[in-house]
Amino acid sequence: MSLKTRMYIRRAERDDLDTVVEWMDAPDFRRFLYGDPARSPRRIREQIVAMLGRTAGHTLPNAIYLVIESPGHGPIGLLSLQNISWRNRSCSIDLYIGEPKLRGGMAAAVAYCQAIAYCFDELNLHRISAFIYSFNTASWRILERAGAVRELTLREHITRDGKLYDMYCYGMLRAEYEALRDEIDARFSDASLAAMIAGRKQAEASTEAPP
Amino acid sequence: MIPCQHGVIRTADPDDAHTLKQYYDSVGPRAAKLDRKREVVTPTTDELQELLTRKENEMGGLYAIEDRGGRVQGFCSLRGVSRERRMGEALLMLIEDRFYAQPLAAEALDFLLDFAFNTLFLNKLAAHCLENETAARELLIRAGFESEGTQRDVVFTEGRWHDLEAFACFRRNYRSHV
Repeated sequence: MSLKTRMYIRRAERDDLDTVVEWMDAPDFRRFLYGDPARSPRRIREQIVAMLGRTAGHTLPNAIYLVIESPGHGPIGLLSLQNISWRNRSCSIDLYIGEPKLRGGMAAAVAYCQAIAYCFDELNLHRISAFIYSFNTASWRILERAGAVRELTLREHITRDGKLYDMYCYGMLRAEYEALRDEIDARFSDASLAAMIAGRKQAEASTEAPP
Repeated sequence: MIPCQHGVIRTADPDDAHTLKQYYDSVGPRAAKLDRKREVVTPTTDELQELLTRKENEMGGLYAIEDRGGRVQGFCSLRGVSRERRMGEALLMLIEDRFYAQPLAAEALDFLLDFAFNTLFLNKLAAHCLENETAARELLIRAGFESEGTQRDVVFTEGRWHDLEAFACFRRNYRSHV
């Protein structure tokens, strides 16, 4: 049996606003919605307007801002991907950890790794850059450990407290990221709990077996 | 108009738009054709004319480099001048590669260095070259610029990736070089 349909999909437009708001007012629909259930009808409407108001330009933005959030601390920082060039498939990463206690710790390292993975795996970029002040040792050490290469040392490039400081530019190419990811995957492929249990059982079985 | 030994340097006029367009249409990627995102820009003649009509622009003025016969060989400028960091970037846009090896190119670069260090009192002047701009690279090194490193695969154009080398000349180096 052949099924013929005239159904198609399209981008939502502002004209769809009333329809979508009507859906959202229905209790059986709201049950499946993500977000704060206490939102006022006005707030919901504003959010939908913002959502439907997206233009084609937003699909290839010049910058993307992401909030870094931790279950224990809530939002702890901001990650910005600046100067995104879809033509060169590159961007510049800036990471700000707002919580002073978490600066230089694992939070920054994890955020950098997630940002790098996002740039290569989601945005399909070819290259990422990061410009870091020479005195921000914690930041550039994290990047070096993540496999980024220091490509530029811009001497006496910025002024702080009346002194001139160098600025470093780090770069990471897709091939380097993929090599690093493969290496980590190979090294830690058995690091899952299930694999560890299976490995333990196998080891016990081999010791219990008669010679 | 500033007379040099091999020509003159003067502010670029709206009439120079067609010559400036020639530079943007010239074969091969050039660092001076890149914007902030390191994308190759391809302005129209009208856009260039509009840029040259403005009394002041962010570049701090674009200068035409004329040989003795009155032919415009290219343009030069300082862009991104920061008073706070006391630095800027030198742009030398010559229409043909062979012009970079000629004495007038060195005189134009010296004009920029003198303007940057003795008029604007900058501390550092940056410059950039793509890996195929060998003549421009040699000119910068002869003028006292030093490499600060190379960013790999920064620009994608003409079907492949290009590296971008950063150079810098400091006020103290310029004085000793002179």
